[in-house]
Amino acid sequence: MTSSTTSTTVLGKSVQRPDALDKVTGGKHYPVNVTLPGMLHAKLLRSPYPHARITGIDASAAAKLPGVKAVLLPQDVPQRKYCPVYFVPTLAPSMVQDMLIMSDTVRYAGQPVAAVAATTAAIAEQALELIEVDYEELPAVFDADAAMAEGAPQIHEGAENNIAVNPVVAFGDAEAAFEKADHIFEGVYETQRVHTCYMEPRVCVVDSDTGGNLTVHSSMQHLFGLREKLAFVLGMPESKVRVIKPAYIGGGFGGKLDIGYIEPVAALLSLKTGRPVRIEQTRYEDFISTTRNPIRVYLKTGISKDGRFVARYAESTLDCGAHATHGAEVINVHGMFGILLTYPCPDQHWEGKTVYTNNMIGGGYRGYGSPQGAFAVESQIDEICEELGFDPVEFRLKNSYHQGDPHPFNPQAKLDSYRFQDCLTQAAERIGWSSRKAAGSDQGVKKRGIGLGCQPIWVSGCVGFPDIYEHSGAIVKLNRDGTADLSTAAVDLGSGQITTLCMIAAEELGLEADQVRMTYADTDTVPFDAPSHASRVTYSSGNAVKAAAGQARQRLLEVAGGLLEASPDDLEVCEGMVRVKGSPDSQISVVDVVTRAESPFVVMTEEGPQPTNLEEKGTIIGLSSMAPPANPSPATVEFVEVEVDTETGQVKILRVVFAHDLGKLIHPAGAEGQVEGGFQQGMGYALMENLLFDPDSGACLSSDFLDYKMPTAVEMPPKIESIFIESNEPTGPFGAKSLSEPCVTVPAPAIANAIYNAVGVRVRELPITPEKILAGLGKL
Amino acid sequence: MSLTTLENYFLPGSGGEVVQLLQEYGERAMILAGGSFVHGLAARNLLPGVDVFIDIQKLGLADIVAGSGGLEIGAMARLADLASVSEIREDAAWGALSDALRCPPVQIMNTATVGGNIAAACPYFDLPTAFLAIGASVRTEGSSGSREIDLEDFFTGLFENSLAQEEFLTGVALSRPEPGSASAFVKLETNANDLAIVNAAVHMTVDESGACQAARVALGGGVNEIPLRSAAAEKLLTGQVITDELPAKVGQAVQADISPMADHRASAEYRSAMASVLTERALRSAIARMTGGN
Repeated sequence: MTSSTTSTTVLGKSVQRPDALDKVTGGKHYPVNVTLPGMLHAKLLRSPYPHARITGIDASAAAKLPGVKAVLLPQDVPQRKYCPVYFVPTLAPSMVQDMLIMSDTVRYAGQPVAAVAATTAAIAEQALELIEVDYEELPAVFDADAAMAEGAPQIHEGAENNIAVNPVVAFGDAEAAFEKADHIFEGVYETQRVHTCYMEPRVCVVDSDTGGNLTVHSSMQHLFGLREKLAFVLGMPESKVRVIKPAYIGGGFGGKLDIGYIEPVAALLSLKTGRPVRIEQTRYEDFISTTRNPIRVYLKTGISKDGRFVARYAESTLDCGAHATHGAEVINVHGMFGILLTYPCPDQHWEGKTVYTNNMIGGGYRGYGSPQGAFAVESQIDEICEELGFDPVEFRLKNSYHQGDPHPFNPQAKLDSYRFQDCLTQAAERIGWSSRKAAGSDQGVKKRGIGLGCQPIWVSGCVGFPDIYEHSGAIVKLNRDGTADLSTAAVDLGSGQITTLCMIAAEELGLEADQVRMTYADTDTVPFDAPSHASRVTYSSGNAVKAAAGQARQRLLEVAGGLLEASPDDLEVCEGMVRVKGSPDSQISVVDVVTRAESPFVVMTEEGPQPTNLEEKGTIIGLSSMAPPANPSPATVEFVEVEVDTETGQVKILRVVFAHDLGKLIHPAGAEGQVEGGFQQGMGYALMENLLFDPDSGACLSSDFLDYKMPTAVEMPPKIESIFIESNEPTGPFGAKSLSEPCVTVPAPAIANAIYNAVGVRVRELPITPEKILAGLGKL
Repeated sequence: MSLTTLENYFLPGSGGEVVQLLQEYGERAMILAGGSFVHGLAARNLLPGVDVFIDIQKLGLADIVAGSGGLEIGAMARLADLASVSEIREDAAWGALSDALRCPPVQIMNTATVGGNIAAACPYFDLPTAFLAIGASVRTEGSSGSREIDLEDFFTGLFENSLAQEEFLTGVALSRPEPGSASAFVKLETNANDLAIVNAAVHMTVDESGACQAARVALGGGVNEIPLRSAAAEKLLTGQVITDELPAKVGQAVQADISPMADHRASAEYRSAMASVLTERALRSAIARMTGGN
């Protein structure tokens, strides 16, 4: 920690999360618990075929089943092509508009082809079995390379070789630079399709009124994105769609960043029936609704004799499945933050391909392409170091950006609060890096090893990204009991956004953390906000909340100044009092100031009616709607110690040391929780998680957690040590910038490198299963 | 089957009623004990044609009675009930069962039943392998009365058992072990709520000279369609003085008796290799128990 951080009274304390008690006692405010009077339940019929044309649908028997209130078929649905991603304008040129709510062409097994609303979910499910669909099967392709080959089935009209987008980014002249390199390394690194496994399923309740207005409850990460996309696909004005902010949702992790089929289908069924319609997905439906895209990376790196990057070349192939969805943007974030911007190198060339297949669709997932890149880059750095005899920590130190350097993504800005070197050296010392053994040299059946992974450059939001929304708003209103209400569209995904934002407002207002309450919001009542994603809420929403609170505070001081006969500039707020600085006797309580501001103009006193000051009247309130000033990069380093059972190939995580320069530590326990939760997801990605598919039909074979394995508390290491380096980001609220996603990105390469250090086996394909390790040891 | 299309659900009060219902509904009916595996089977289309549940919770059958001859475990005893029996926790001879009962997550321990765990005939469960090693038999009731079946004759295929159509499992019987016995169980799993990729259990009785007098070696978790005993491993172990080299040889011997399945959780080759590793580890653990460790 450095002395340059801003002095604060509320921030930096692990105050109790306001939503904690509610959640541990059942969490009645989750969207999954929303019920409305007269509510119907709908279910979706899904195609068993990966690629087919629907030649006929007969739903007459389903419609006649007692309890069925409405049936929805492709012909009932507006045929407006859309991109489901929330955080971009609907027709953003950088994205691909290739989806329909329901279409007469099926492009993946599991695509919805009809829906039924009934009085119970069981009746709706029963009705689905009565719908007869005639399919004309079409040839299908499930591999990105095969999809690009000549003669492959065409999945979308106009997409040459089934390539949805094909970005190329180059700096300098990589080809010439490779000529000058002393050593060249190349490798192919592959990642698998995984699901975020949020606990609360995707669920929505949509109601309509006689004026055709919609009210939407949904478990999602972005109110305004849902409003915009839903209005677009239905061909309605946005003002006719009101999206209610959930008090919190049961996890998102990027998996609820796009409109699903459920919201438009529920909306259409509600408009048809005039009743609220609820759709809740099963775990299987969630598995096939959104995933982290698998990416295959070919990575080639040129190194000088003294161990510097001189040239880099990479090709990334992303299998986006049947629709581009997030794949058009994930590939760019992957190329930039996963590969090109990670370490300075003057001559680089990268080409990305987002390729259509008849696999299920992809989506958002924390890290957004960066985990796939980090696995390649950080694995290869260790391969380079092993081969050339460099120390992996020294190598990274030598090849990294430094504080004060121009920001590689946004060169007009500087890496002001960047402390990568401190992260690396402090974490290396904590794990005991200097006593690390040579690869595979540990003795015994169970061998130990240490490895590291880094996310050297990341974001605090999306300033600078083409087509991506990045602004926030907040309303802060003071109450006559001396508390404040904060209202913002930023959704709490479970990672503590409510706590963080209330603390920032409290700090600015001079109140205690528990005197600020996160209150109701919907798209009718609060300013536009970008989603809770891209590690942005603390920084971007935090800045907006601070601005709104600052405005309310200023008004509070103006009113108090009138009452105390002092200039607002000479006042301060602390412990519920507004005081004249340096004159502790001249003070008035916040309660009295707020009450006075809202009191009648003429008040009755013992001396009779007394007029008050007109200028002090009006609720004390602050409002902000603003873009954040910058996009500062944090730096992240993680060291992992593993134990590999050389007889079974099983990997046990013994120890984790994580270091991150987060600018300002706002809620220490919450920050540690981010690191721990992120490690669990990253560890699952590294070692076991994998959605499985039938190679012939493309159907998802993982139906629940019996097949889809992720780490439980039992597999977690006993302790994860977090080193938070406070580096004071000048553009952040009280010096803060982001934490979030790098926690998920770094575990996989760190674990892969630690396994190599333990047993000398390099696995370039995730997940690193026991079988792959045993095969590497020559025992299978 | 989907649970929403269940046609009928019965809560009979006696074994006779259960048998009657089984006769009436035939293959459409399934006995429901703890119910912890119903979703797992239904979601994988492994209950084709089943639309009637016969819930036997009103029959009692939940007692665990220790007698001089051994232990009588009611089919409806929960795994947690079994784990709380002090003789199982403390007797080295039943160590394999105690090991196996440490594997399931708490929710399964509190809902799954001993009878359901056996009758499901799922090769990936832990209890069948442990029970095979310690020599259990099952008790049944049916249209022609009650009978006792050796557990090794009970499993006939993947999710198939030797119960007759109108017969159901009422309990598990364990004989009191010979003095000088110990057993152990080990499991390979991906996470703590996983079914076994491979599991193995070894039970042995050693005489005063330190030689193995009798041995039972059992394996499960997809080394075959059913959990099984390895005659080759048992033969190799029986009569031998325990040496440090012996466990690895016994582990290798199981190869003669297994024919592992390949699925998305493991290849046949991996299961095959692990069968030897786990057998060796189970044997080493049983030996350690025999010599005073736990």
